[in-house]
Amino acid sequence: MSERTAKHISKGAAEVREAPGRSRNALDRFLTFAAVIALFIFFSFTARNFFSVRSVLSLALQTSAVTIMGIGVTFAIISGGVDLSIGSVVALSGTVAVMAAIAGVPVWISMLLGLLIGVVCGLLNGLMVTRLKLPPFIATLGMMMVARGVALTITNANAWPAPEAFGALGNNTIFGTGQEFPGIPIPVLIMIGVAFLFHFILSQTRIGRYTYAVGSNEEAARLAGIKVGQVKVISYVICGTLAALVGIILASRMVTSQPNSAIGYEMNAIAAAVIGGTSFMGGMGTVGGTVIGSFIIGILTVGLTMAGANYFMQQIVIGLVVIGAVTVDQLRSRK
Amino acid sequence: MPPDTSSPARAGIPGEPAAEAAPVVEMRNIRKNFAAVRALRGIDLVLHHNEILGLVGDNAAGKSTLMKVLSGAYIPDEGEIFIEGRKVEINNPLHARHLGIEMVYQDLALINHLDVSANVFLGREKMSARLGRIGVVDKRYMEQETRRLLDRLRIDISSVRLDVERLSGGQRQSVAIARATAFNAKVIIMDEPTAALSVAAIGKVLDLVRALKAQGSSIIVISHRLEDIYQVCDRMVVLRHGCKVCDYPVAGDLHEFHERVVAYIVGARNDFPEAAVEPGQKSTQTGEQS
Repeated sequence: MSERTAKHISKGAAEVREAPGRSRNALDRFLTFAAVIALFIFFSFTARNFFSVRSVLSLALQTSAVTIMGIGVTFAIISGGVDLSIGSVVALSGTVAVMAAIAGVPVWISMLLGLLIGVVCGLLNGLMVTRLKLPPFIATLGMMMVARGVALTITNANAWPAPEAFGALGNNTIFGTGQEFPGIPIPVLIMIGVAFLFHFILSQTRIGRYTYAVGSNEEAARLAGIKVGQVKVISYVICGTLAALVGIILASRMVTSQPNSAIGYEMNAIAAAVIGGTSFMGGMGTVGGTVIGSFIIGILTVGLTMAGANYFMQQIVIGLVVIGAVTVDQLRSRK
Repeated sequence: MPPDTSSPARAGIPGEPAAEAAPVVEMRNIRKNFAAVRALRGIDLVLHHNEILGLVGDNAAGKSTLMKVLSGAYIPDEGEIFIEGRKVEINNPLHARHLGIEMVYQDLALINHLDVSANVFLGREKMSARLGRIGVVDKRYMEQETRRLLDRLRIDISSVRLDVERLSGGQRQSVAIARATAFNAKVIIMDEPTAALSVAAIGKVLDLVRALKAQGSSIIVISHRLEDIYQVCDRMVVLRHGCKVCDYPVAGDLHEFHERVVAYIVGARNDFPEAAVEPGQKSTQTGEQS
């Protein structure tokens, strides 16, 4: 059985090699993918009920937020930056959408309004980095505080209940067959769609290629005629928009405004990208890698919980995995 | 400055008949200051069709600055540039590229994390489809074209899908040069193409330069290595302290050539002594240079 799995994985890795300029990542992803399988098998034995349709679906649902945010921040990191504000943008866009819905705006328009908040936050981050020449860490740190502050202000730090229709997106499932199969949660489907769409953008389109170019060698990109500032702004807009998408999904799941939601999520998203092979030096990383990185964190969290480890223990383990993943990457690239 | 600006096709160099047509490049009285530093003090430069011109000088003589002016990376404070007889204002590297001027930078300006074909086509991607402003890149086409280009120039790289960071120094230089030639450039400028290369790699790069000339390219080579200039160039220009001090065909035996060029580089000889005088300085000159 294990042989068959290995064969399947190596076939996947060969397909990945098609992507431009990521021959090393093919190996990286093979290893990280193997780690996911290993973890899964490990927890299937140690934690009761881990290996079941229900727990897989609940794992996917729990992981969807960090995965979608991680895909966004992957763009920012590949372009040579980082985005610390995404956790706050999740809260802000979610609360704006809920407050708009409470005020009587149709649900879908209030959700679009939430998305727009993410676009604006990303745009502001991008302009601070490219026009004001602020270091991305500082610019997005400021945005992290501002966005959180605005979210707390407009809700007066309260969890206001949204209209019932607001909860459909986050709580409904489709393809369900009653008892035997509970159906796929809509957030999971959104995550899958986002992963495919942004994998395509990053690996097959010109803007994806330019994102790598800008992060890898900004001066060379400029000399080749690439509008470096524009590429960076687009990467922050993608990052902010995906964070807003998560904000809407989470607000919908809670059916309330949650100005204190997603605190620290930006760190999990960055950790997912880094575990998945995204380099903080810029110019390296893939959407697939980040998805796998996010699932490693998710499996560890769920698995450790089911195996009876407490939250503090989980933090220690995930922290060590981040350090370990980057160390392995460093050692391999030094050769 | 000559009063007659309508006929840019002046006689290029001493001892050569007036060019049959306008030169590919003519730069006139180019000046560029960086704050108090006068990097270029009124330089004239001509490049003829299918010629390899060597640009020589000590550090800070102004070679790279002059070429960055021609390739659009710097905008000169003063001076005119003519491409095939037409006066042009070059405002940025992209504009220079549209005019057919390609520069191979000393630090190669390659994207380490992208593969060979992505680097060759960087900024000029072939698109297979467009969804609004999102262009889908046609990888297969670009890979085939890159393979063809490498084969034509006899550049030895096993796969166009290799990341550039995995290539040797000579291979990287070849990719940078191949990129410059990929789009029918009129002029190719190479800044220190043999710096930091092994002896074998230097030979290959020089072969590549000759191959480009055989295919009709006009090339400017900046180099510290006088042997390289001697081997591939038809003519050379020596700069010193932002002024042109020598403009002469490459001839004679290597030893003699070497000694003569060094004399120009260190300032022992100067064919254009008036040019060294700044306008406004105390001198017997009127201030304008020819």
